[in-house]
Amino acid sequence: MSAVTAGAMGRPPPPPPMTVGYVGWLRKNLFSSWANSLVTIVLAVVLGWALVSLIGWVIVTADWEVITSRVQLYLVGLYPKDGIWRPQVAVLLISALLGISWRTWGGTARGFAVGLGAVAVIVGVIPHGLDILNRILVLAIPAAIGLGYLLAPSLVAGRSRRMVGAALIVVFVALLLIRGIEGVPGLEPVNTRTIGGLLLNLLLALFGIGASMPIGIGLALGRQSNLPVVKFACIAFIEIIRGVPLITLLFMSRHILPLTFPENIKIDTLYLTAITIMLFSSAYMAENVRGGMAAVAPGQTEAARALGLRGWQTTMLITLPQGLRNIIPAIVGQFISLFKDTSLVFIIGMLDLVEMGRVTIQSNLEFIDNGREVYLFIALVFWIFCFSMSYVSRRIERALGVGQR
Amino acid sequence: MAETSQTNGSTGMPEDNAAILELPLEQRDDIIVCEGVHKWFGDFCAVRDVSMRVKRGEVVVIFGPSGSGKSTFIRMINRLEEHQQGRIVVDGIEMTNDVRNLDAIRREVGMVFQQFNLFPHMTALNNIMLAPQRVRHMPRDEAQQTALQLLERVGIPEQANKYPAELSGGQQQRVAIARALAMQPEIMLFDEPTSALDPEMIKEVLDVMRELAASGMTMLCVTHEMGFAREVADRMAFFDEGALVELGPPSQIFNDPQEERTQLFLDQIL
Repeated sequence: MSAVTAGAMGRPPPPPPMTVGYVGWLRKNLFSSWANSLVTIVLAVVLGWALVSLIGWVIVTADWEVITSRVQLYLVGLYPKDGIWRPQVAVLLISALLGISWRTWGGTARGFAVGLGAVAVIVGVIPHGLDILNRILVLAIPAAIGLGYLLAPSLVAGRSRRMVGAALIVVFVALLLIRGIEGVPGLEPVNTRTIGGLLLNLLLALFGIGASMPIGIGLALGRQSNLPVVKFACIAFIEIIRGVPLITLLFMSRHILPLTFPENIKIDTLYLTAITIMLFSSAYMAENVRGGMAAVAPGQTEAARALGLRGWQTTMLITLPQGLRNIIPAIVGQFISLFKDTSLVFIIGMLDLVEMGRVTIQSNLEFIDNGREVYLFIALVFWIFCFSMSYVSRRIERALGVGQR
Repeated sequence: MAETSQTNGSTGMPEDNAAILELPLEQRDDIIVCEGVHKWFGDFCAVRDVSMRVKRGEVVVIFGPSGSGKSTFIRMINRLEEHQQGRIVVDGIEMTNDVRNLDAIRREVGMVFQQFNLFPHMTALNNIMLAPQRVRHMPRDEAQQTALQLLERVGIPEQANKYPAELSGGQQQRVAIARALAMQPEIMLFDEPTSALDPEMIKEVLDVMRELAASGMTMLCVTHEMGFAREVADRMAFFDEGALVELGPPSQIFNDPQEERTQLFLDQIL
């Protein structure tokens, strides 16, 4: 009692007991009334039972041979066996890049590097069907991360600009490795139709994401242009692309567009598909960007104009940076849905991860009952990538939140 | 005409200013001339037939009920709003749609807004440095030095590297004033600079404005801070329904208003 009276001047009174900490949280959220307590207990029992059953199935009943015996198919499709080292080296390069950015940026990159390394170690040592060569390869990932971490000071010296440069170089080299280079022995270009599995999903998503930012921003700015031709062209592009389902666009790019090409020109299906996804994603990005910029307070533009900044300066320095920051969650949401949408390329006969799973089950009698294992595995792979993106998004938002109102 | 004033603005102005400020107000030149200015929003006539001359170094406080066109009027002085009839000349530059004129005028005229309108993604220092670097092409070091001096002048040098969201309203408004001053304007426009502030922060902003007025800056202030007006204003302008109803020194406005509407409004707010 004396604490409460003294609170007026001295130390403020403590909160009532049982309202703070774990106990307080539990009482408030799970046991606030007898009805809620009942719901909590029933749900806990049901969920607990489901979880125990699932784990039991995963460990005891499930037959994971359908995955472990053909990991390569799921990861890279029909990529030629004698060139398989190329995507493997690409993965190690990117792991090393992760190590470098861990040393340079810490925070999010560290979380990722540690997470990936841990997963790799677990996959590398758990007693299951992987052969010894693949195990060594998986265990090389944490080694590459460590190597990148050690070499980071001499390579990028803690400078963000060099870090970005290093990232671009590594991604470019990785892509070159996977595609191959004309006339270099051992690096002959692969037939792009052999690229499949997760690699195909990742490549299409990478191109879609990489292109949609610049093109989408360009379209959004073009849509607000004072030049009627530019403005109309941008609006027409955005509305036409957004008005048509991705599947239809993929179909048209595969079957109808080539009819309009001259006989002697043949564009690779993979490239056509990538371009289609890039354009599709850009149209959506354009509308996101426009929305983000429209949400910037009009006073910002007025202040910029009053200071004598020109129109394009106002856009590039004031409205665009703020607009993009407004829409980080929307952008990442779009990237996530784009990544998942890449599995739609099955419609034009490409063997992405999901399609590869379907084909595996249906074309192998011994696996005809292993659909659950396959789809659980595919779901887990997609979830890991999508969750990673949303994790990065949240970290970026928090990091940029410093100056937010 | 535009050219002479531009050279003035960039080179000889400070000394000229000092000489001019020695003169009594009546003998100084007109820095702002408005003749028969009209502005419509759609069919609504926001400003009607306003004529006003402002001397170099003069402080004019503009007041009146909300919706009386006072904000619209000062926003026309740096062309955030276009006037549709009449004539506005700022420091010898006629207000037209000519882009070069517009650039010259924006350089002459600084503006402070009710909602501060600081750029939230930049630190206080970068807010101030932006326009000198991008518009006046001032080297980075010089811009930074100027910005730090200005922060000193408005009394918050220690807040240089904070983002607007980390500052109090009064501090934000002082940064906004410093940002406008960084372009070395001849004229400062204040659009209700203290209306969005908590009472204890109004004084710190008014103090900066007082100092600015004492330094000889030409100021047009839309404000209802009547104490500030009585103390600092050379003349006061009462707007109602888009028209300039009465214009005169504070002594006249407060003690002997010539118009009944001025008297009625003052009775309401005092």
